[in-house]
Amino acid sequence: MKLNIEGLLVYFPYDYIYPEQYSYMLELKRTLDAKGHGVLEMPSGTGKTISLLSLIVAYQRAHPLEVTKLVYCSRTVPEIEKVVEELRKLIEFYAKETGKTNNFLALALSSRKNLCVHPEVSSLRFGKEVDGKCHSLTASYMRAQRQSDPSLPSCCFYEEFDAVGRQVPVSAGVYNLDDLKDYGRRKGWCPYYLARYSILHANIIVYSYHYLLDPKIADLVSKELSKKSVVVFDEAHNIDSVCIDSMSVNITRRTLDRCQLNVDTLQSTIQRIKETDAAKLKEEYRQLLEGLKEASVARETDVFLSNPVLPDEILQEAVPGSIRTAEHFIGFLKRFLEYLKSRLRTHHVVQESAPQFLKDIFEKVCIDRKPMRFCAERLHSLLRTLEIADVADFSAITLISHFATLVSTYSKGFTIIIEPFEDKTPTIANPVLHFSCMDASIAIKPVFERFQTVIITSGTLSPLDIYPRILDFRPVTMASFTMTLARTCLCPLIVGRGNDQVALSSKFETREDFAVIRNYGNLLLEMSAIVPDGIVAFFTSYVYMENIVASWYEQGILENVQRNKLIFIETPDAAETSMALEKYQEACENGRGAILLSVARGKVSEGIDFVHHYGRAVIMFGVPYVYTQSRILKARLEYLRDQFQIRENDFLTFDAMRHAAQCVGRVIRGKTDYGLMIFADKRYARADKRGKLPRWIQEQITDSSLNLSIDETIQLSKHFLRQMAQPFKRVRTCPQHTLSPTCLHSTNTLNMLSVEEMMPKYTGCGGKK
Amino acid sequence: MDEEPEIAKRWEGGYERTWEVLKEDESGSLKATVEDILFQSKRKRVIESHGQVRLGMMRHLFVVVDTSRTMDDHDLKPNRLTSTLKLLEFFVDEYFDQNPISQIGIITTQNKRAQKLTDLSGNPKKHITALKKAVDTTCIGEPSLYNSINLAMQTLKHMPGHTSREILIVLSSLTTCDPANINELVKTLQGLKIRVSVIGLSAEVRVCTVLTRDTGGSYNVILDECHFRELLMLHVKPPPASTSSECSLIRMGFPQHIIATMSEQDAKPSFSMAHLDSTGGPGLGFGGYYCPQCRAKYTELPVECKVCGLTLVSAPHLARSFHHLFPLDAFQESPLEELTGERFCQACQGQLKDQSVFTCPVCRTVFCVECDLFIHDTLHCCPSCIHNQGMS
Repeated sequence: MKLNIEGLLVYFPYDYIYPEQYSYMLELKRTLDAKGHGVLEMPSGTGKTISLLSLIVAYQRAHPLEVTKLVYCSRTVPEIEKVVEELRKLIEFYAKETGKTNNFLALALSSRKNLCVHPEVSSLRFGKEVDGKCHSLTASYMRAQRQSDPSLPSCCFYEEFDAVGRQVPVSAGVYNLDDLKDYGRRKGWCPYYLARYSILHANIIVYSYHYLLDPKIADLVSKELSKKSVVVFDEAHNIDSVCIDSMSVNITRRTLDRCQLNVDTLQSTIQRIKETDAAKLKEEYRQLLEGLKEASVARETDVFLSNPVLPDEILQEAVPGSIRTAEHFIGFLKRFLEYLKSRLRTHHVVQESAPQFLKDIFEKVCIDRKPMRFCAERLHSLLRTLEIADVADFSAITLISHFATLVSTYSKGFTIIIEPFEDKTPTIANPVLHFSCMDASIAIKPVFERFQTVIITSGTLSPLDIYPRILDFRPVTMASFTMTLARTCLCPLIVGRGNDQVALSSKFETREDFAVIRNYGNLLLEMSAIVPDGIVAFFTSYVYMENIVASWYEQGILENVQRNKLIFIETPDAAETSMALEKYQEACENGRGAILLSVARGKVSEGIDFVHHYGRAVIMFGVPYVYTQSRILKARLEYLRDQFQIRENDFLTFDAMRHAAQCVGRVIRGKTDYGLMIFADKRYARADKRGKLPRWIQEQITDSSLNLSIDETIQLSKHFLRQMAQPFKRVRTCPQHTLSPTCLHSTNTLNMLSVEEMMPKYTGCGGKK
Repeated sequence: MDEEPEIAKRWEGGYERTWEVLKEDESGSLKATVEDILFQSKRKRVIESHGQVRLGMMRHLFVVVDTSRTMDDHDLKPNRLTSTLKLLEFFVDEYFDQNPISQIGIITTQNKRAQKLTDLSGNPKKHITALKKAVDTTCIGEPSLYNSINLAMQTLKHMPGHTSREILIVLSSLTTCDPANINELVKTLQGLKIRVSVIGLSAEVRVCTVLTRDTGGSYNVILDECHFRELLMLHVKPPPASTSSECSLIRMGFPQHIIATMSEQDAKPSFSMAHLDSTGGPGLGFGGYYCPQCRAKYTELPVECKVCGLTLVSAPHLARSFHHLFPLDAFQESPLEELTGERFCQACQGQLKDQSVFTCPVCRTVFCVECDLFIHDTLHCCPSCIHNQGMS
């Protein structure tokens, strides 16, 4: 159907549209018009992706000069594939409606592991291996060597692409990862490099966050995207953690040992080259005098995405003389390494800021700040000069060099924590140096500064106002949309006490309490008897889960539960977990029924959907607060308080509630789906917790479902499940739930919509005060 | 007999919110809602007249009753099992009333096994006695969908192709314990054209959804006892026959009831053939129905002759089955205010007091709610139309 969104003609590939989709598009269009950033929350299963795509594509067609490119960032490969499929539907609809083929190019980009078609390389299991192997076949100096010695192995796909692939642009269309591979095989071109080359002229790119946020990758891939692009971060509720992770470095004793090996290899290689080909090192020396200047020229001609690792002023300078020759640099690395080793030998916890660390290193081993800043670049150059084939082996030394550069570049927003042992095992020495980023805005800042519109969207972004604060940007629109329901298909219940009136809570004081554990067990047992098919239960941490499950086993609760359903447990091991998931789904499918015990913030809570019978109920045991005794967290909280005026408690609650919302949101993946959401902790009933849940969940919590006992919960759940089992037919004619083209054009509905649309805006701004 | 089991005490049962059904009107009175609930419950029968379609009039139906642990639940009064069996007795009665030439069999499942309570037969008494006896069953273990369907299938697959083969499962448990993959069984069922329907007592279970969808049956979950009864009643009506089922002419005998008394000269008491293999009842007596083909005697109809295999029915039986083919159209509901003329129901001659009245679309006669229900459920024809036919 065709829609008129404030004068913009939008093609929408479905016959009806939900009111919230319409409001979402309106809000999105205003953001694009204002050329600003936006934060939009809309529940999953309401067609967020297609609304986004159809509006932005329509906008792109209407104003080709103002918006040139859509960069759609998602989290996982399956999500990327889903987006591409929606996009394909949309483009086909365009072709059908307009009657002519449009020259639209959209493609997905992923790592080499997902795109490689080389028979040997692609059979490797780990991403790092594939990258390393690919590099050893395609690096420029390897190819140069091959010209003199043709017997060396090569990748025919890359050679072919390099020879002809760049001249002919990829024909228009929508390409997912498999399409790219097919295309690559057909033409004999490397799909990975083809995709990376083609994003320059593609209209829509779908890829992972890391290509924009991780400075190491962003520099390679996304450097040349034009300023007039629209960037969308989907499922962005964890975007601050992604930013922080991409800037943080953890160094263990093992890293240092491997680093030592790397340095030794480098030294011997240098020795060998010196004997055979001294001119090469001379050439490198000369380049280093000039080299970085070239990069700065490139940066000026067009505003490239600036690399947060390498600040502008560095480019103005030549590499300092103390590390300019290879031997000096190796010496420098050795000293740095020894220094780190000595620091790790400590017996007590040390926390210091970057300037303190720099002062100490200067005093102890006379390393200046300036050469440290060039460390990463210098190492890169050295590896290139030495023609090292397999870069993957040098990941340890690369890590150290990044650390050196980061620590000397940023004086604010980072902290260094050295822990001689883990908190759980205070007797076993396992020293770790955390170089931890505390400011999420550092990594994302270049993105906000560079692109005219950045949209942050997810099903759970409440409370909205905190994201602009921790990411340090000023949005033009902030809105939260609710879900219009044909029937109340979600049933959030807050269980505050057991049948014996003992308050249920996972808080620290009562977490070992026998009565609480028993009541949690009873809750699970009773739920397992009345909920059909699948139940997903979330605990606050692995440790807590282990304790409780062990206790349940002793009390015989597990045995009783197993009469109703099979039990599966998530573990930190990815392979085990995916095995458990597979069996869990099988048990749901054939009527045996199953329970999955998993952990908030784990793999299951983030990426796995439990549609329909795979998840009829989700039980959240406790409030998933992050481990508050962690020093890294404490440092970050302090920083947030000082820099952004966010109180510790506010942030902790916000973080806990967004994870709780993520967990319970797993069960509702659309309007035909239904599920129970059981919050088993009395603290959820408090307004400060409840108010931080997404609006679409909050709306369904009535006063009567605030502090239920297990008995009452069971009765309400039974009733709900029976209601939901009644035959459900989508009422397409009813204007309240779905809009058809005819009723959309009636002024009546539009009036209704505009009222509805205003409301979220007010709530959005209201939270800001 | 009236000794209720200990656990069935009201205060030990679950926590219910019975008051939530009631809502106050503007004046704060509950009267209107109560009346509305009563009216709705009267009106609740679902009229889905499927018009002129072929119906499987000769039905072979196996009812599977879950007697697993969950049947002890008290959300139906006094517990699920007793309530279910009571309703099933009623169902069996209705079933034979509406489908006199069909047969029924009962299977129970518990403790991972399935057991035949009664075999396929057309005698309601036998089934009802069995159901009454089953009240004392102890409910243990898990049910097995696979085993019970398999058991029913073993018998049903030998039934002639022109009859409809059906399984109705009353499932209380949310889990099933199967010896093999049930999806394979579903394929076999599809091949045999056996229709499986499920009535769930607690919630929607995925495997039942798949089972009923793939075999063409229906799947419903009850809300309360009334709803349960309605859902059972939906299965009283014969389902539309699948177009691929065979058609054949069936030989039927219409035996006359011959009454003989001791006083008559040539009267000799004789055994009913139906009692030969059953132990209950004396079976010896005067008079009865004599098979027109072989003169075997039966005391009850309908029955299949044990000697020559002829289906014996009485004419009213056939006539009653006949009405399913030509269902009476639903009457039009209209508010009382719109009615002009006399406010009397044409059937019972009572004054029309409810807020709506019902008009026969053919003869435009007006009826009250009770009479409308009676006409559609029992008479199957509009008395006024018949009356008019007689006049002309």
